[in-house]
Amino acid sequence: MGAEWQAGPVAEITLRTLWVCGAALVLALSVGVPIGIVLGTRRFFSRALVISSVNAGMGAPPVVVGLVGAILLARSGPFGDWNLLYTPWAMILTSTAIALPLVIGLTLAAVGSLDEEWDLQVRTLGLSRPWRIWLLVREIRMGLLAAVIAALGGILSEVGAVNMVGGNIAGETRVLTTAIMMHTSMGEFEIALDLASVLVGLMLSIALVLTWLQLSGRAR
Amino acid sequence: MSVALSARSLVCTRGRGRRRFELRVDALDLNAGEVLVLLGPNGAGKSTLLRALAGLDDGVRRGAITGGEGPVTLVFQRPTALSGTVEGNVRAALLGKGVPEPERSERVRRALLRFDIEPLADHDARTLSGGELRRLALARAFVLDPEVLLLDEPFDDLDAEGQRRLSLDLQEAIAETGVAVAMVTHDLRRALLLADRIAVLSNGRLAQHGARDDVLLHPDTPEIARIVGMINVAEGRVVRRTDDVTWIEIEAGFEVPTATPLETGERAWVGIRPEHLKLDVGRGDGEPIGKASVESLVSDGLASVVTLRVDERRFTTHLLSGRGLARRLRAGDRVALAVHPDQVHARPLR
Repeated sequence: MGAEWQAGPVAEITLRTLWVCGAALVLALSVGVPIGIVLGTRRFFSRALVISSVNAGMGAPPVVVGLVGAILLARSGPFGDWNLLYTPWAMILTSTAIALPLVIGLTLAAVGSLDEEWDLQVRTLGLSRPWRIWLLVREIRMGLLAAVIAALGGILSEVGAVNMVGGNIAGETRVLTTAIMMHTSMGEFEIALDLASVLVGLMLSIALVLTWLQLSGRAR
Repeated sequence: MSVALSARSLVCTRGRGRRRFELRVDALDLNAGEVLVLLGPNGAGKSTLLRALAGLDDGVRRGAITGGEGPVTLVFQRPTALSGTVEGNVRAALLGKGVPEPERSERVRRALLRFDIEPLADHDARTLSGGELRRLALARAFVLDPEVLLLDEPFDDLDAEGQRRLSLDLQEAIAETGVAVAMVTHDLRRALLLADRIAVLSNGRLAQHGARDDVLLHPDTPEIARIVGMINVAEGRVVRRTDDVTWIEIEAGFEVPTATPLETGERAWVGIRPEHLKLDVGRGDGEPIGKASVESLVSDGLASVVTLRVDERRFTTHLLSGRGLARRLRAGDRVALAVHPDQVHARPLR
């Protein structure tokens, strides 16, 4: 156990973790919630196929997502010119891809739990589409919160995929999960445990806030 | 009377293959300030028509719906409560409509008061009973000051007292606002209290429509007769005519008089509303038409429904419960029947 705990790098890794997770969550929600709402409220050809793909995506192994991400972003890949591989953006995009099916699937389930005629009943009030969507989002907010919790859990706990596309480069793409993995493989269990407690502390704090939101939402 | 909403050459289809259903309405007008009641058996297309009139895409549609310059709103058979308070639900109907405060609050308050749910304003809308939820849905509709209000089974699942109170409140609201109403209901009694006009749907077609009494007393076909409550329907042949009365034999030796002029020997069907079939107790109440045996007598406390039998044919009449004959009558009794010729509807059989 040669290495020692250093507050500076840990703070930096923690902030990067928060940035990567936060950005991936925002991206997954911005894309996934509208898709989930459209899938839940519209009937169109191949809808069943899209829903099946989403369901399959919810169970897709993250390491496979990482592999596909690495192939796409590699210098020789279709998006190689963007030079994203081994940058935080590669990690954000991969984390988004992991969280997206969860967000779409849980949004779809939340919309599906509404009364079958909900949309028709709101339309008959003569509300414009933006107001109807606002009411719908308000109506399914508890389901959306579950989507946030599931997506965040998926992103925060993921290590294999972000390691593949991020490379765990010190000062650039190292996040809590990849750092824990690295220190464990080097036998530096004390530092790995310290980092793990920071990660668990983060998850617990977020879970507490989200649970409080969920419970106060149910009480309303 | 100006037309509030008008449907022309309307075609709505839903389902595919053997489950395909098509609704066709050539012409139907809903006039300002009137109540049009849509009657018909299950699956006739009443709710489909209501949704089409509301402008909700319900299957492929051709034809045109015009009018409805002001708000057109539909209250569903099973209204949905939005999450939040009762007041919030009513307020939601005004979102983005540019209604400024304090007018918005005043309109919401008036709508809540109109349907007697103001005391529930702060309650969670999802905890309301079925009757309260229906009142909330009506308040949410009336807060829009609609030009056209479409109601799908507004009295469904309510107890007798709930139905009575809601129909009174609804009647008052319609009279005060002058809103044009189209209503689907199976409750013929409530329908008759509210209706100015009746439209009868059958098998996806508009079978007959017109002024309430016209449709009730002069249905075009035996099927329509049964739908509008003229349940004593029989076929027969015209056997004789006097100046004012045509006699139709519907069973051997059992003749019914009608004021409708028909040719002797012509085949015809007759329809008699239960309230127009009299039990002749020697008061000279109509023309005697023969004797029948009482098969059953069922009372709901207010009215007794008496089923009578003439050979193989059944007739039904209504008596006020607990009075005179209704108290004495027993199954198996023989009674004399009488009708007024002008209360017997008759049409040639085609």
